[in-house]
Amino acid sequence: MNRSVRPGVRWLAPGLVILLVAAACGGGDDGGPTISDARIGQPTGPNAALYLTASGYGEADSLISVETRVSPTAEIHETMMGDDGTMSMQPVVSLELPASGDLVLEPGGYHIMLIDVERLEVGDEVDVILAWEKAGNQTIKAEVVEPAATMDDMEGES
Amino acid sequence: MRTGMLFLLSGLFLLTSCAANVSSDELHGVVLETPESKGSFVLTDTDGNPYDFLPRTEGKLTLLYFGYVNCPDICPVHLAQIGEVFRQNPEVARNTEVVFVSVDPARDTPEVIRQFLDNFDPDFVGLTGTPEELKVAQEATGVPVAQIVGDGEDYTVNHAGWVIAYAPDGLSYSIYPFGTRQTQWSNDLQVLTTFP
Repeated sequence: MNRSVRPGVRWLAPGLVILLVAAACGGGDDGGPTISDARIGQPTGPNAALYLTASGYGEADSLISVETRVSPTAEIHETMMGDDGTMSMQPVVSLELPASGDLVLEPGGYHIMLIDVERLEVGDEVDVILAWEKAGNQTIKAEVVEPAATMDDMEGES
Repeated sequence: MRTGMLFLLSGLFLLTSCAANVSSDELHGVVLETPESKGSFVLTDTDGNPYDFLPRTEGKLTLLYFGYVNCPDICPVHLAQIGEVFRQNPEVARNTEVVFVSVDPARDTPEVIRQFLDNFDPDFVGLTGTPEELKVAQEATGVPVAQIVGDGEDYTVNHAGWVIAYAPDGLSYSIYPFGTRQTQWSNDLQVLTTFP
């Protein structure tokens, strides 16, 4: 893998075509993670949750931080269920992306908590910068969806 | 009895996370082996008035949930799913009382709770109280008492993750842990309005 190529920097180059291709592919064209199902539940309070699926690109990597312009703080969190059914949430330092396989952020598990998020409407697209330990910065777009729709990509799982 | 319910829950939660449909022919939530009766408690609604749970919900399908507004991951999903059923089925909405109890009294003022619930349905009831009143309500309901975790502004609240449904006869036959699908909600709320 060519570590000198940082998608976040390259995507700053002018040209709508590049942006469109980048958004459509969600990365991965240069060996970085491929991102799919990036979505943000429409905020119903001061915080919102961002979910996505990152697919491995042949080398293990770690998601170490996330930034957006819609919230001053974005933290990696994990929701866990205790033996008695109690739900708890705690910050996580980083998330491992396997060399092959997926890192899945979904309701009830890992998510990016957008703290003090601004008002967002369903259908809005939000630029999100994912900072990977090896692949560097990757800019993706996440769509704002109805809160219940954050679960949609989990439908059919059993 | 409460301990027994919790024991049952811990097993059933694992089961529901793997299976979309469990239980009886009619209900798709987690069906309790022994129906549970409502607990008695009085809290304060978002207009600042006392809300006596038993008389206010008598004879109605009642959905009771303990959560908090700053919870971005699971709390909005439950409420949004219920709100979606209400939009699709006004008959169900008319016959159902949704009661959201905030277990984060320090941050969730009545105004904050109201604003939060209006995202889903303006008729959802929001309740708050002193920490002691909230503890009484949770114990009376038979859920683990929520715990504040962490310091500073960004603390989180560990809380029961499931919605309790009480049929119009005042008994709970089923509960709805996180992970309940929209289709399950849709089915069960229609069934429960005239259950058992």
